[in-house]
Amino acid sequence: MAASGGSTTSNTNIPEYEYSDVNTKPFHIGGFRSEWLSRLTPDDYSYQPEEEDTFDANFAKEHGVSAETMAELKSVCSIDSLRCHPEDEQPDPEVVPPNPTLQTLIERKKKQDYKASRKITKNRHDLYANELERLTYGMKPEAVDDILPEGEVILTVNVYYPASYDKFNYVRPHMTLLMTGSHSLAEFRDAICCVSDLQVCGEFSNTPNIAPDFISKDHYKSAFFYFEGVFYNDMRYPECQDISMTTIEWAKSHNFPSYSQAKMEDTRFMDLNVKVGFPYLYCHQGDCEHLVIITDVRLTHKNDCLDKELYPLLTHKHRVATQKCSVCHIFIGRWFTTNDEFAPSHPCLFCDKCFRTLHYNEDGYKLGDFLAYPYVDRGAFN
Amino acid sequence: MIRSKRGETDPYRKQLKSDCESLLGRFQKTESVRFQVFSEIWRESNFTHIFYGAVKHEKRAFSRRVLDLAYSYFLPPLTFQIRVGGLYLLYSLYRSQTASPPEQIRVALKDWDEVKKFEKDAADAQHLDAVYILRQLRFLKAFHFTAMPTLLAYKKKRKTEKSDLSEEFVERASRPQELINGDLLEELSNIHELYEKMKTSVSLPSEKSVNMIHRSFVPQLRGSVLDFHKWQQNKDETDQDEDCGEGTSSQQECSNRAGLIASIKSKAYGEAAEASKSRRHRQVEVDPTSNESGPSNAPGRSRKTKPSFKARTKEKYLFSGDQLKASSSTTMISHLTSLDPVAAEKVKYFKRFPSK
Ligand SMILES: [Zn+2]
Ligand SMILES: [Zn+2]
Repeated sequence: MAASGGSTTSNTNIPEYEYSDVNTKPFHIGGFRSEWLSRLTPDDYSYQPEEEDTFDANFAKEHGVSAETMAELKSVCSIDSLRCHPEDEQPDPEVVPPNPTLQTLIERKKKQDYKASRKITKNRHDLYANELERLTYGMKPEAVDDILPEGEVILTVNVYYPASYDKFNYVRPHMTLLMTGSHSLAEFRDAICCVSDLQVCGEFSNTPNIAPDFISKDHYKSAFFYFEGVFYNDMRYPECQDISMTTIEWAKSHNFPSYSQAKMEDTRFMDLNVKVGFPYLYCHQGDCEHLVIITDVRLTHKNDCLDKELYPLLTHKHRVATQKCSVCHIFIGRWFTTNDEFAPSHPCLFCDKCFRTLHYNEDGYKLGDFLAYPYVDRGAFN
Repeated sequence: MIRSKRGETDPYRKQLKSDCESLLGRFQKTESVRFQVFSEIWRESNFTHIFYGAVKHEKRAFSRRVLDLAYSYFLPPLTFQIRVGGLYLLYSLYRSQTASPPEQIRVALKDWDEVKKFEKDAADAQHLDAVYILRQLRFLKAFHFTAMPTLLAYKKKRKTEKSDLSEEFVERASRPQELINGDLLEELSNIHELYEKMKTSVSLPSEKSVNMIHRSFVPQLRGSVLDFHKWQQNKDETDQDEDCGEGTSSQQECSNRAGLIASIKSKAYGEAAEASKSRRHRQVEVDPTSNESGPSNAPGRSRKTKPSFKARTKEKYLFSGDQLKASSSTTMISHLTSLDPVAAEKVKYFKRFPSK
């Protein structure tokens, strides 16, 4: 189902910039894929390596060159021709070579010397930055059926956390997911983790043991994505509401361009008309809004994780500082209390252990007159 | 994807650009498109070392950066020779990177037709090493076939950067010359003549409206293009001694309509009229009679002609700098004022590889 909303669908699915280096004009993901496939040979996107002899023979034939010339060509263009040191000396690629002349190396040396002089230790986040993705490189499924089809598209999607205006940084906190063209938007929704889905509502000081079962995702199932004039609603469950209707009707009554609706579960990425690099919307829990940016669309490659079952694949997760328990300062806060005579502040955050030790006797009997609310830390997903 | 520290969106960009451009600049000076020449410069500058010393978690991001930069040298509007250098740079960087698994070269759908055109131009001109290296990259599955050259996360540039392209690598604008060529001028003056007759036939000879016709329209157009070319040449500090006398006086000379027609009819404008039809279809055909051992015709808009790879293999790899500096071809516009059968022949080569 093609989305044809407010913006006009360009008749070409060859992405072009709308604003240079910022975002593209809208195009159809499935159409984009077809455009690529029509220009390539299956060998280009096959996961299987091509035989070198076949390659050489084809090349020689196509260009009418002799075996002798072919051999010369191969030798001239070989990787050996790029070696910058004698064959029997292999310099250490882990260190900047002595007396570098390349500007890049001079700069790298300078940075490393500076870091060493300041004894700046490496940031844990830097070290693990690409770890998630690296783990799945070229991973193949056990069952042949689970292999990602050759020529499928992979989309890289950033989902940003709701804006916190007090902490605006150049790097906006987000998670990055790899989706395939055949994923539905509902599958995308299920892969987005947001604390507000796990927020426990209510006061549980009298029954602290039942609180964790009572999370909001089970209660407020409605959600929508907005891409190019279309609201995609989650209508999988009977209690789901079309929460986009309010917006659509408001837009109609105010003479805005008309919007349309579709079902999240019936729409695959392949069916979407989108701009790459452009911020769209995911809204759930009534008012928890996330920006969604498709940063990349491309064909699959043999080095990708090829196990279909591992998608949506989380490749980046912003690490937020966790709020620690105000008693032990070790564990992540799980409860916050108010009206609490044991607390150093109001409200106050406790880990589960400290909370229970301090507020209940050995038999689990509540001590004092406080109120307790379960708390899910954003950093708990790290 | 590339993660960067706050505020430091692209570390090493300035340095990488300077390193790549000095490498390509040296390659440009050789006036060669041979990989052997390129790889020699690569080795002399120890370019493999550019990856050395990058710590583990930087490797992928660094490879990404340098490949993205190199990709930009492989595309128009850069000259054919620099694009060949850009291709060699991509290949050499791809093969030398220390990231494992390697970062791929991102090629955008909108650029692919240019890549294919480049491949065809290189193949037609028998630059087998360039074609081979491009094919090798496909064989190695070095490409990611993408929507856009880089990932886009709606980051607006805080500082507007100056044009990224190094000026000396950019193909000089030749659209005016290409558009306003002999054929066009001939057709234009014919139409102009017809129009003039029509105007005259519908109005009284004494009527002023006839004067509405811009009598010297065609010569003036030609003169303007010539002026543009001259200006461009002067800007490039290219010596124009030989053409000077004729060139500077072009405008007055050309305002003579008879002289103009005569020059249009002359071969100096390129091909004979009967060839023009096929050219309009912009077909690039391989000339079966092309002399393999001689300097091959340069593809694209390249101004230099170089011996083909095949030619060189025939000569058993006897390289000398002189050999590579084959006679420099000329731009078409210069033939608007000079008659030279050899040059006219080159114009033909030039025209066989129309741009776009
Ligand atoms: Zn949320
Ligand atoms: Zn605690």
